[in-house]
Amino acid sequence: MSTSRKILVVDDDPVVGKSFDRVLSGKGYAVITAQNGEEALHKLANENYDAVFTDIKMPGMSGIEVAQKIKAAKPWLPVVIVTGYSTDAYRAAAEAAGVSGFLQKPLSPEMIAGSAEKAMHEADATPAPAATMPQLAEAADVTAAGDAQPASRAKNIALFLAAPFIGLVYVMAMPFVAAGMLAWFAAKALAAKVPADVKKFAMLIGGPLLGLGFILALPLVGIGALGYYAVKSARKE
Amino acid sequence: MHKLFVHPLPVRVWHWINALGFVVMIATGIQIRYIGLIDLVSFKPAVEVHNAVGFVLIANFFGWFLFYLFSDKIRVYLPELSPAKHFAASFRQLKFYGYGIFKGQPNPHHVSVYHKFNALQSMTYQIVMLLLVPIQCFTGVLLWDVERFQSAITLAGGLRVVDTVHVLVFIFFAGFIFIHPYLASLGHTWSAHFKAMITGYEEVEDE
Ligand code: HEM
Repeated sequence: MSTSRKILVVDDDPVVGKSFDRVLSGKGYAVITAQNGEEALHKLANENYDAVFTDIKMPGMSGIEVAQKIKAAKPWLPVVIVTGYSTDAYRAAAEAAGVSGFLQKPLSPEMIAGSAEKAMHEADATPAPAATMPQLAEAADVTAAGDAQPASRAKNIALFLAAPFIGLVYVMAMPFVAAGMLAWFAAKALAAKVPADVKKFAMLIGGPLLGLGFILALPLVGIGALGYYAVKSARKE
Repeated sequence: MHKLFVHPLPVRVWHWINALGFVVMIATGIQIRYIGLIDLVSFKPAVEVHNAVGFVLIANFFGWFLFYLFSDKIRVYLPELSPAKHFAASFRQLKFYGYGIFKGQPNPHHVSVYHKFNALQSMTYQIVMLLLVPIQCFTGVLLWDVERFQSAITLAGGLRVVDTVHVLVFIFFAGFIFIHPYLASLGHTWSAHFKAMITGYEEVEDE
């Protein structure tokens, strides 16, 4: 299961989470973000993650506090501190809490990828004790997660089996979509040459006419379809 | 460049047995259908090989099908439900194959674990694997023993219908077996996707 590792990024600046996502999502990681310490701890209580990256300076709880709380509850979970500045005092506190490392902003894709990989090695070396997980998570959440699983599986299987038929519809629609796009581009190119007043006037007249056209065509299309199927089934007999 | 594990072992094993099997099926199929026009081997051994390999491929297909059915990799084969997204991505990909690739433009599709196929690939593979291959297997089994499956054949519209369907899908596959390796050779090097189908790892451009 090395392909779907889950990483929690805690930072009040959404740009940081986005750059983690950009770098890591293609590499088989799922990046989940939290805006502050409280949100992060809540997420950690309800779901399993493979590593946490946290900023230090955030509104509310500081990143160091977040790291301490995580390490106290789940000592096996790698926590990496991401920060723009780091004083020795911060470092000492973070190291005492047992964080796995520091990442100095500005972050490059290489730094993100490298430290995620390092954290994964660490996570693999110290696996979570299976028994502690359900204890940490609230009982209600466990059953909720258990219920969600089969439902999405059934949905996936249904979609899987329906896929070729949706594909066929797409294939058959393709020429019409292409023709429609061509017509649209042609109309746009032509419209660009027509003076604005004429255009406005044409739309004023043309809009309702077009709507009326659709309304009139609807029963005809319906009757046509009915007739088609009637003829088809009559032929069979 | 970094490596991404996209083709699990069951898929790779299925694929190469299937590819080899299809070459044999097409060769013997041509011999059976166009006897007199082509006489490479005689009729009877051609039929025997066609039948035997056919059953191997049916078993092989179930290997592929069950793997995806019970794996979370099933997501690779889920259809795009938004037509707007599907057509936008398809036309982008067509533009790349028809024009951009000759100008050295980058492939607009970015491979990831649950999104290893581009819009055209995923649509094609869905139709091929979940519709055409099963149809071909089913009609093939009916034609294998027309007496035993008399009632099923009648239900399907008669021997002519079953045979015509089998031959039409055969013609599709005969074309597919040329176009598919051509498209598969359009990775960042010609052999990139072939290697990926052997090792399981696709080399992916860093962003
Ligand atoms: C003549 C031989 C063939 C060659 C050289 C070949 C080559 C390849 C390569 C390189 C790939 C990986 C690139 C990609 O993901 O698109 C691939 C994938 C695939 N091929 Fe083929 N192929 C052959 C025959 C076939 C046949 C006969 C079929 C089906 C009837 C087939 C169905 C597929 C499918 C469904 C995939 C995607 C597999 C997956 O990941 O689920 N191929 N092929």
